[in-house]
Amino acid sequence: MSRAPNDDLPTYKLVVVGDGGVGKSAITIQFFQKLFVTDYDPTIEDSYIQHAEVDGQWCILDVLDTAGQEEFSAMREQYMRKGDGFLLVYSVTDKQSYENIINFHTQILRVKDRDVYPMLLVANKVDLVHLRKVTEEMGRDLAQKLGIPYIETSAKDPPLNVDAAFQEVVRIIRNQPPAELEKSRRKKKKGLLGKCAII
Amino acid sequence: MADLVNEVRIEERLKIKIGEAKNLPIRSHGSVSERDVYCILSLDQEEIFRTSTIDRTLNPFFGEEFQFNVPRRFRFLSVYMYDRDKTEKVIGKVAIKREDLQIYHNKDHWFQIKPVNQHTEVQGKVHLDINFERPTDENSPEKLIVKVSECNDLTLCHGCCDPFATISVRLTSGRVETRRTRVRKKTNSPQFDEKFTFELRSWRKNSDSRYNVADVGDWCELVVTLYHDGGSSQFFLGEIRVPLGQNIQQSAWYLLQPGKRTYVKSKPESLCSDMGSLRLKIHYTRDYVFDKRIYGKLRELLLKSCSVQPITSSACYLLGEIIPNKFDAAQPLARIFLHHGMIVPVMKALAVWEISKITDANTIFRGNTLVSKMMDETMRLAGLGYLHETLKKPLETVLTERKSCEIDPSRISDSSTIHTNLNNLKEYVEIIFQAIVNSALRCPPVLCELFHELRQIASSRFPDNKEVRYSVISGFIFLRFFAPAILGPKLFDLTNKHIDSQINRTLTLISKTIQSLCNLVTSRTTACKEQYMCSMYQTFYTDMHVTAIRQFLEIISASSSLSHDKNNSRVILKEGVMTKRAQGRKRFGRKNFKQRYFTLTTQDLSYSKQKGKEPLCTIPLSDILAVERLQHDSFRKSNMFQIVQPTRVLYIQASNCVEEKEWVDLLGKMCYTNHQRLQTYHPSAFVNGHWQCCFSQAESAEGCCDVSNETQLQMNIDSDRELARIHSLIVEHMDRVQSIINFCESRSVLGTRANDGDFVGTCIIEDPASCSKTLFDLRDAAVDLQTQTRIYLRKIARETKYGSKQAPIGDDNYLLLANRIDTSIKTS
Repeated sequence: MSRAPNDDLPTYKLVVVGDGGVGKSAITIQFFQKLFVTDYDPTIEDSYIQHAEVDGQWCILDVLDTAGQEEFSAMREQYMRKGDGFLLVYSVTDKQSYENIINFHTQILRVKDRDVYPMLLVANKVDLVHLRKVTEEMGRDLAQKLGIPYIETSAKDPPLNVDAAFQEVVRIIRNQPPAELEKSRRKKKKGLLGKCAII
Repeated sequence: MADLVNEVRIEERLKIKIGEAKNLPIRSHGSVSERDVYCILSLDQEEIFRTSTIDRTLNPFFGEEFQFNVPRRFRFLSVYMYDRDKTEKVIGKVAIKREDLQIYHNKDHWFQIKPVNQHTEVQGKVHLDINFERPTDENSPEKLIVKVSECNDLTLCHGCCDPFATISVRLTSGRVETRRTRVRKKTNSPQFDEKFTFELRSWRKNSDSRYNVADVGDWCELVVTLYHDGGSSQFFLGEIRVPLGQNIQQSAWYLLQPGKRTYVKSKPESLCSDMGSLRLKIHYTRDYVFDKRIYGKLRELLLKSCSVQPITSSACYLLGEIIPNKFDAAQPLARIFLHHGMIVPVMKALAVWEISKITDANTIFRGNTLVSKMMDETMRLAGLGYLHETLKKPLETVLTERKSCEIDPSRISDSSTIHTNLNNLKEYVEIIFQAIVNSALRCPPVLCELFHELRQIASSRFPDNKEVRYSVISGFIFLRFFAPAILGPKLFDLTNKHIDSQINRTLTLISKTIQSLCNLVTSRTTACKEQYMCSMYQTFYTDMHVTAIRQFLEIISASSSLSHDKNNSRVILKEGVMTKRAQGRKRFGRKNFKQRYFTLTTQDLSYSKQKGKEPLCTIPLSDILAVERLQHDSFRKSNMFQIVQPTRVLYIQASNCVEEKEWVDLLGKMCYTNHQRLQTYHPSAFVNGHWQCCFSQAESAEGCCDVSNETQLQMNIDSDRELARIHSLIVEHMDRVQSIINFCESRSVLGTRANDGDFVGTCIIEDPASCSKTLFDLRDAAVDLQTQTRIYLRKIARETKYGSKQAPIGDDNYLLLANRIDTSIKTS
């Protein structure tokens, strides 16, 4: 981890979002510190930086762990502006958190003024099989509807797919076509002109 | 019931978040690639809010939010963008029609920025009388008589308006004859009352006369143009064009329009697209509020929620399921129950149910549920004064001192400053920490009661978990109240200072530390998530701090028998700069207007020369006998109101209509409980030895008008209005009501009673029979109200005449309204 091959590595700002209590911090801490925190301490905003190797290429991961409570929504757009990729996390034991994913998805696209953006749908707490309320099928349906990939995770030891989730987002960021940005922006503008009500 | 339809209020609430702008046009000089930008939010052209200035960028991020109750009718909500260059220069604007606000409701949206010039800024209307006078004998010509009587609400040019009008009549031959009115000074609603006569010289009758062909023809068009007389130059204020055909309304109001010729010349829209765009999020609701008797059924249905068994069959719970956005439902619900003193029982019933569904004590109220949202709204309403009292001062210190507090080595260039920064941060955290833990006794009783109930419910659900009694409360008071307030003091009205990125970071660090302290009280381990915060936590993870928090949580959740020293506390309710007229202790001499800083507390109203200075005058609340608006003609100033005291009247001008409404509402509320409150007042001022309204010459003469009766009392909650909101929400989501009803019915037909509840979406139904009963009642109440609304709208449509002041000719809003009524009648 301490190995830093060279200084001008690409930095990816990843943001972990989702409702309160779905395990955003648990996933993040499991990824960075390789341990499972049993206490659910509400987060205001924590950030972690680390070198990581994804598909043989080194990069710097700058991850922001955020508050799930809507009371902090004023801060949301600040990190939404800065993020290069997002993990949209819900808990499979909490249906409301699953329903709320769409709001995060919409807001990110609107803030970014884009039609697509690097995002990953993360279904967390899959170890709690007996309490599961959101099935894998429902998760995959939602992912398809939003046009983003889906992954199931568990932060509890032994962790499931935690590293894979972060690596996947890096992959999505790297694979986005560079022309995407220009294209989607132009399309938006055309659509807007007709709608704007101006004297 | 028909008479109930007569008194209808239209209540609009607007919350607008000014997010960010991008791709602003470059400056034409100097440092071209940057601007210093700020935004002004306006109702039509009246400024009601302005953002901080964001320096040196073409993509400024504002992230500021402003919410208010709309005090008057308006046509456009506009955000003007300015560049604070050498002179303040307007870059452009985004203007949204009132009718279109609902399209953008509750969504982030990028708006194109449009140019601003005299033609985009036209507003107001003009009243005309147009008469033809047929010739009485063969030789006299046909006459056209145009009377320009008055104008209303014209555009201001640099804050003033000296308007005049030109009246042009064009004939089919192309000949144009133009006259003009005199200039009226210093008014944007001038009274002209001038008549102009135009003559039509007939070709036939004067075939042998001296007139040229060009002189004759038939009437073609009347053009009335308004200008501001700016000395050497004239400023265009708008025009109207009336074709002089058969169907002219003799006497009518006309809406002023942008100039025709220049309008055509201006660039087509596609060429303006390089002005950049602005992201706004608008939350707009409009409700028709009827007499309170009309809401009886719905109110009763809601208020009995707490006694309904099971709670999942109650109206309150079901509304939370029907309305997709929990916040939209929770806000009016919390207000209605708070207003009727029923918030504690209903929250208790809902919380028992929510907690029973939780399997892990750790996740208690962590998500966004109906209880957590209603609790949030209750804290904001009942606890705002308490929050201000607790945090305003310490935050003021942080915001003015601006000591650097960054302790994350990866965010700092000079690592030697970390030590100093750490000490700064510790100092700030300590100030705020002490302010909070020492405020326990001032926590409002209704909140204490709620915390008490929540604690009881949580401990009986998880008897083995000793910490849950604290975590359930700290999850509200800290996580959802203090922590967000520290992070975003502007959103809680705790400051009006600009929050730049450095301050923002400081506030984040303080908020994090305080929150982690609370976490410490409730969790067994002391994990330090981010390394750089560890040294910070070492200072604060002491028994002393933990005990202090524990005590604080204990006191605010103790049963309500504890006495609260409410009486001797003096809480600031509202403050700000306004202009007041000199109180006139001398009988003669100029009584001019001066700017003062006003402060209203729970005990008195005072004003001083500046914020923080010694008060020049203090008026105890008992001396405020009436608070009323002042007629505009008293001093020819807008947004004026009066405070009637035993011996004199204080006349005050607020800076804009939103401010005026807030002051008048709040002062009126404070004055309402005064048992010396007056029954009558003078709607105009006492000037030059007489009251302008009733011409009585005695200054002490009894008022000539009844004082307005405020029905809204408790905590500024207008329960009828909230019920109207609930009604609108039910109507909006009628399909969801129906689908739950259908589901319930299919369950009861089958006769199976689910053990663990059934789902429709996320909705859990325990008892289909009683549940569908409640839903039927809700639906019926909503349908009844809908009928009333329809009757009212139809009546309005019938009574509103095109060409009246409310619906001037050329106002497409009227046409829209008529259209909508038409379709709603057809569908009903």
